[in-house]
Amino acid sequence: MEKLLEIRSLSVDFRTPRGRVRALREVSMVVPKGKIIGVVGESGSGKSTLIWTIMRLLAVNGTVENGEILFDGGNVLEFDDNRLKGFRGEKVSMVFQDPMTSQSPVLDYRSQFTDILYRRTEMSRRERLGKAIKMMNRVGIPDSEKRIYQYPHHFSGGMRQRAGIAMALLMDPSLLIADEPTTALDVTMEAQIIHLIREARSEFGSTVMLVSHNLGLIAELCDEIVVMYAGEIVEHADAHDIFFDAKHPYTKALIACNPALDLEMEGQFPTIPGDVPDLHQSPAGCVFAPRCAFSDETCSKERPAYSISAGKHSEVVDHSVRCHLYCPDKGGKTKHDLTALSLNAAADRTRSEIAHCDEADELLSIQDLRVRFPTMGRIKALAEGVDDPFIDAVYEVSLGLRAGETLGLVGESGSGKTTLGRAIIGLNGVHSGSIKFKGSELVGLSQNQYRKVRRDVAMMFQDPVGSLSPRRTVGQLLTEPFLIHGIEKGSQRDQAARLCEMVSLPANFLSRYPHELSGGQARRVGVARALALNPALIVADEPTAGLDVSVQGEILNLMLDMQAAHGLGFLLISHNLPVIRHVCDKLAIMYLGRIVEYGDCEQVFRNPAHPYSQALVRGTPQPDPTRRRQLVSIEGEVPSLSNRPGGCEFHTRCPYSGERCKYLVPEPSLLADGRTVRCHNPLAE
Amino acid sequence: MLLYIVKRIGLSALIIFFAVLTLFALLNSIPGDPASIALGPRATPEVQAAYAEKMHLDKPIVIRFLIFAGNVVRGDLGSDVFTNRSVSHTLLEQLPYTLTLAAAALAWATLLGIPIGCLSAIRPNSWLDRLTGVISIGTIAIPSFLVSIWSILVFAIFLGWLPVIGAGDDGDIVDQLRHLILPAFAVGLGWVGYLARMVRASMLEVLGENYVRSARAFGLMNRTVVFRYALRVAILPTITLIGIGFGVLLSGTVFAEIIFSRPGLGKIIYDMVLARNFPVVQGAVLVTVALYVCVTLIADITVSLLDPRVRENL
Amino acid sequence: MAANSFDRPMRPAMEKWHLFFRNGQGVLGLILVALFFASAIFAPWLATHDPTKLDIPVRLAGPSLDHWLGTDQLGRDTYSRVLYGGRVALQVAAIGVSTSLLIGLALGMIAGYGPRWLDNALLLVFDTIRSFPTIVLSLAAVSLLGPSLNLILAVVIVTSIPGYARLARTSTLALKNSEFILAERSLGAGSTRTLAHHVMPNVIGPLLILAAMDIPVVVTIEAGLSFLGLGVLPPTASWGTILNEGYLVIRTSPWPVVAGGVPLVLATLGFTLLGEALRDVFDPKLRSQR
Repeated sequence: MEKLLEIRSLSVDFRTPRGRVRALREVSMVVPKGKIIGVVGESGSGKSTLIWTIMRLLAVNGTVENGEILFDGGNVLEFDDNRLKGFRGEKVSMVFQDPMTSQSPVLDYRSQFTDILYRRTEMSRRERLGKAIKMMNRVGIPDSEKRIYQYPHHFSGGMRQRAGIAMALLMDPSLLIADEPTTALDVTMEAQIIHLIREARSEFGSTVMLVSHNLGLIAELCDEIVVMYAGEIVEHADAHDIFFDAKHPYTKALIACNPALDLEMEGQFPTIPGDVPDLHQSPAGCVFAPRCAFSDETCSKERPAYSISAGKHSEVVDHSVRCHLYCPDKGGKTKHDLTALSLNAAADRTRSEIAHCDEADELLSIQDLRVRFPTMGRIKALAEGVDDPFIDAVYEVSLGLRAGETLGLVGESGSGKTTLGRAIIGLNGVHSGSIKFKGSELVGLSQNQYRKVRRDVAMMFQDPVGSLSPRRTVGQLLTEPFLIHGIEKGSQRDQAARLCEMVSLPANFLSRYPHELSGGQARRVGVARALALNPALIVADEPTAGLDVSVQGEILNLMLDMQAAHGLGFLLISHNLPVIRHVCDKLAIMYLGRIVEYGDCEQVFRNPAHPYSQALVRGTPQPDPTRRRQLVSIEGEVPSLSNRPGGCEFHTRCPYSGERCKYLVPEPSLLADGRTVRCHNPLAE
Repeated sequence: MLLYIVKRIGLSALIIFFAVLTLFALLNSIPGDPASIALGPRATPEVQAAYAEKMHLDKPIVIRFLIFAGNVVRGDLGSDVFTNRSVSHTLLEQLPYTLTLAAAALAWATLLGIPIGCLSAIRPNSWLDRLTGVISIGTIAIPSFLVSIWSILVFAIFLGWLPVIGAGDDGDIVDQLRHLILPAFAVGLGWVGYLARMVRASMLEVLGENYVRSARAFGLMNRTVVFRYALRVAILPTITLIGIGFGVLLSGTVFAEIIFSRPGLGKIIYDMVLARNFPVVQGAVLVTVALYVCVTLIADITVSLLDPRVRENL
Repeated sequence: MAANSFDRPMRPAMEKWHLFFRNGQGVLGLILVALFFASAIFAPWLATHDPTKLDIPVRLAGPSLDHWLGTDQLGRDTYSRVLYGGRVALQVAAIGVSTSLLIGLALGMIAGYGPRWLDNALLLVFDTIRSFPTIVLSLAAVSLLGPSLNLILAVVIVTSIPGYARLARTSTLALKNSEFILAERSLGAGSTRTLAHHVMPNVIGPLLILAAMDIPVVVTIEAGLSFLGLGVLPPTASWGTILNEGYLVIRTSPWPVVAGGVPLVLATLGFTLLGEALRDVFDPKLRSQR
């Protein structure tokens, strides 16, 4: 195995107003040539610091305290400007997380590409342009002779990321570092980018270092995996070893917490208790000890050494793990039966029983709902001769939800799922159609009349911290619903304390401000606020977005418990299919504002009837390295709402589309199992 | 893009219209007889009557406004109370002096301020940055009329290097330039600091952007990163602010013209205020407003031409 | 849950004050501002002479033990006049800035949160006001109404409002569609409650910083107009009138124009430094908005 890059005992500190933070602690690893190595970790694990240190582009307040990075017979950390010039961009290149902010907004792609080629002094201007166009073609940007003269804002998200990959490959680097390359993208785009990275590896023979929090992505692509936690590498092994034979309790927990799409999970979500440690104080012992189910005194006092054993699934890659359980001199401890790792897996889900008890009345019933937004001012529309300057964000949507039931609403960005959720709670105007809550019509109510409805319908917003008013304490936030609706139920202090207890937040949190909470804690406050007035329906918009996998489970468990206790109806809006599968009873899949498939959740996942549902279900990367498939990815991207395709909206990307699909809008048809599908040729009967 | 420019010009016209309306309202909201107020206590009844006749003071206020606005549109700003000269004519004579002063002040401030700002942003917290920081905050803190007074004290009285009164002899370029130096220095000094700090701040912000970091990660040369990737974006808010700040600059020229007894709009407004020659004041105010609106218009259009995002979206 | 997650982190506000006090320029600014306030408030006790008392025999004297900063052409004590001049400056700054901040805050929030047409109408008003350079507007007003302190105040307030209002409007617009405002609305909170409890606390911070940076502008306008003889009228002492009278005798004695100018520069410097330090520590984003 040839080493391309080796990191030895690297430590990095950041100076912050609150003192020094050790972001990386004695990190050592080898990047083997020609492989894809994955670096996994939750937020605060130090994975980004690691790559920026390799690129020598740490923020100004960061300093390398110790260690070396060996590349090409030299230490990258000691490269002079000249050597660095030959390293960055030439030998090592990067694909960035957010292509929108990482490409210059005022330079067209031609300039940005040829700027990178400045080193090729032997090439003429024309040759450089030719090479750039060729590379854009190569990554699948159609019409690149013309599109290279466009600016990043002309490109859609997926195309922008393709251009970003093209820029990174332009100098034919020997190491490609990809920093969360699909995080900003939708599922179908993610599948396309995964293809592209695989192809780049086989075609250019690049070594890839893939940094991500997404275990599915890592499993799909990587040969070797490094698991980071709180600035340390806790485990490093072959991908199969990590997923099937993980040793470190953190790795095990991380994998267990990640809901796999294909596996049915019974009972509650496993969670890792506690939070990522505060790196201002260096822990004396193992970094994971405070949250570890197996920790004992030694763990919190002594730092474990790496124990290295031969990999089970690979002969080349050793399996190294930093945990006392595997230290040879503590032989006794390995006898623990680690397979019985009890990750708070408790009581069976009670929701299914409630869901199936028949309640005649529907809690929520939506008929032919349409929400439109103006795309331009009236003057501009007049000037440009557009007679209908509107887009339909929600188009002829019909849905129903009963008490105690959870309905999942899934779609990519721009599908109108958030708009639909907000329309129900009266935050968006409705163009036509009806929304009935407990049989009474909501459309056309005045804001004043809507107030009463809002006692019974609550909403949870995406950003856990950002959806809490920043200058109010938790106590004020929790009592606010009572104040707004003029409800006097005992003292407000008691009410707040009761809510706090309900979502298991300690009562001393009442005087804290939102920015003093972690994401999970803030999310709990959000849940408590939603539950304050005992609503019958909760609309939850991406309740787990922005949370680490280990915290996500806690929140979902909490929501399920509340549902079981109060018989709530949930409308769960999410792009996270695995979560939806494990939580929802019914599922609606949206595309360009329309519901394309609607019915029993499990049925949709097992046997998707609409080609788009199929692409979503099969396109989601799985945390399982043995099951890498040629992902069913559909070509192209979600069209713009202002340019809605005629006929079936999906026909432009549908692998099964026929002549009829191009001009005829499919009507919803009923399948044998009660699902409705808007497709001329459904994939299921 | 064209639509944006048309819209922006329309807005400017609207603002000028409202400014005319405001001025007219101000003039007509004063209690008392407009003629005697406008002409001052020294005017004889005959002159007052002639004025009332000319200003259509007997007609309803709406009609008067329409006549007034119509005259403004035709470029007729009325006539001087004392000499009966056309106000537009007088102002046209004065305008070049003010424009020269403003342009000279802005030019030297820009040529010095922007490079200083860039330099200190490239090496934040270096000795150069600290030095320019202290200097620029110092120049901002001294009001421009104080700079005028003090520069007279130092350069004209103590050192006797430069002339302080007037704008120089007609036709003698060197003399005119010598007369321009002190006023331009006084008006521009604060702007050096102001621009340097603006450019520094927006450069620092842009240098922290993701795309600058990616440009570095692609191994581009520092020069390319700083000028092509950072400055191109960082300069945009500065241009907008020069436009908005032009009002402050005009206030500065008013003081400089008065203190240095230099002909120009400011001087004439001041003199006519003291002489209570209201039509001239009113005309000069309108010209200043129009000048300001035009400069912000030019600044906004320049920004939209330089920024492809704005260029297409608006 | 791990024990350390219960330890309350240092409050960011406290952390920021901490940062502020490590900022040398900010502390210098604070000291200068404190001096300005103290000298203006305690002027009657600090002054050595009656600021309006004439003493022709010692006219245009240089600094001496009796007259620390010399005397003007009427023999009045410049030091005492400078102290009393600070009172005028403080008065204009305090009343002018606080009034325009409050009005600007209200109008800005209405423009940002209210209907589109109202926003457009208010913007047009703000733009119109802004198109009058302050000094020019003051001159026009003075030519009609004659010089007075109240007129200066009125002009200062009217011309400062657009700055505050635009800033408040921008922040309100940004907040309007933020999730926490939507969350409040989804709970059923009305506009008044939302604006007062959730928008205002988040909008006012930047405005206060702008106010700190606006004070020197206001002080300068007062001094400038008084210098031109169009503001505070003699014999009242103001930094502007000291400069005005000094300018007439600039060739005989430089003391009055220096003594009248230096406190103006120091006050301006103090507020500018303070304002910038506050902005850098509390709201770095503001930098590009002004």
